[in-house]
Amino acid sequence: MKILSISILLAATAATAVAHPVAFEGAYQLMFGTAGSVQTFEIYRSYSPRAAVGLHAMRFDGEDDEYFAGIQHNWLLKRWNLPSAQANIYAGLGAGLAGELGYGVSPAGIGFFRADYETRRVFTAIDAKWVESFDISRGVFSATAGIAPYKAEFDQLNTWLMLQLEHVTGMENTLDIILKVRFFKGPYFLELGSTLEGKPVVNFMIHF
Amino acid sequence: MKILSAISLLALSATLANAAPDRVVTVKTTVNGMVCSFCAQGILAHFKKHPAVSNVHVDLTRKLVLLEERKGGSITDEEITDSIKKSGFDPVKIERVKESFDQVKAR
Repeated sequence: MKILSISILLAATAATAVAHPVAFEGAYQLMFGTAGSVQTFEIYRSYSPRAAVGLHAMRFDGEDDEYFAGIQHNWLLKRWNLPSAQANIYAGLGAGLAGELGYGVSPAGIGFFRADYETRRVFTAIDAKWVESFDISRGVFSATAGIAPYKAEFDQLNTWLMLQLEHVTGMENTLDIILKVRFFKGPYFLELGSTLEGKPVVNFMIHF
Repeated sequence: MKILSAISLLALSATLANAAPDRVVTVKTTVNGMVCSFCAQGILAHFKKHPAVSNVHVDLTRKLVLLEERKGGSITDEEITDSIKKSGFDPVKIERVKESFDQVKAR
């Protein structure tokens, strides 16, 4: 049951955390965020424009204090650089340890697939994620769409209005509807929002 | 003597041809896929490290990366292509223009 909880936590967290799995060659991507009672921390090094490796850690601050830490590898499988748009396909695999604080740890694994398409005014993405441990298998599927109310130039503040639908298999409440505002300028990225149930959503990311 | 002069002239021409230009050059590169400033930060990061580049500007509307070469410095087309590809984008056309960096940027 503990592993089940942790796996669901893994899945639910991963669905919103990895917004940019691979960056430019030589970049570090630091990401952290919270959605309700979940905190995440990720750091990756893009050792090529098509691959990144790093650490993924998270904590669930609920009735039980549960956590996960592991290594993850992300790949950019395909990119279409079009004159006025970009589309990407990503995949990733990770392995680590998960457990409840004070009760030991168990091996856990995670995998994801992501496809996105964006212009300067429209953003769309779909994510499918799987979490596997000894006795459970969970999937998380999310679809995100966003619009930019204005076209920001390279050195201006970008603002996006985003809607995200998220489905976790095997859960009673299987659909989360998330409304959020995305801001970015320079190497800084911030998302602020909420689920319809009122759980806060905050994600921060930086490239350096 | 004529042969010696001709050889000297040829050697001088070759030296001048290989030397970096003694004036500031603006390089315009058209790039596909640049739709997000957060994703295009790598372009800035890569070109800022190049010793021959004194100024970089990314223009998302015109799909351009503008580079200003330092006086006496030079960046090759291969280096530009390599940096843009390492940033995750595809260069389409590289041009060197006579106008200043600021003129092209403001156009």
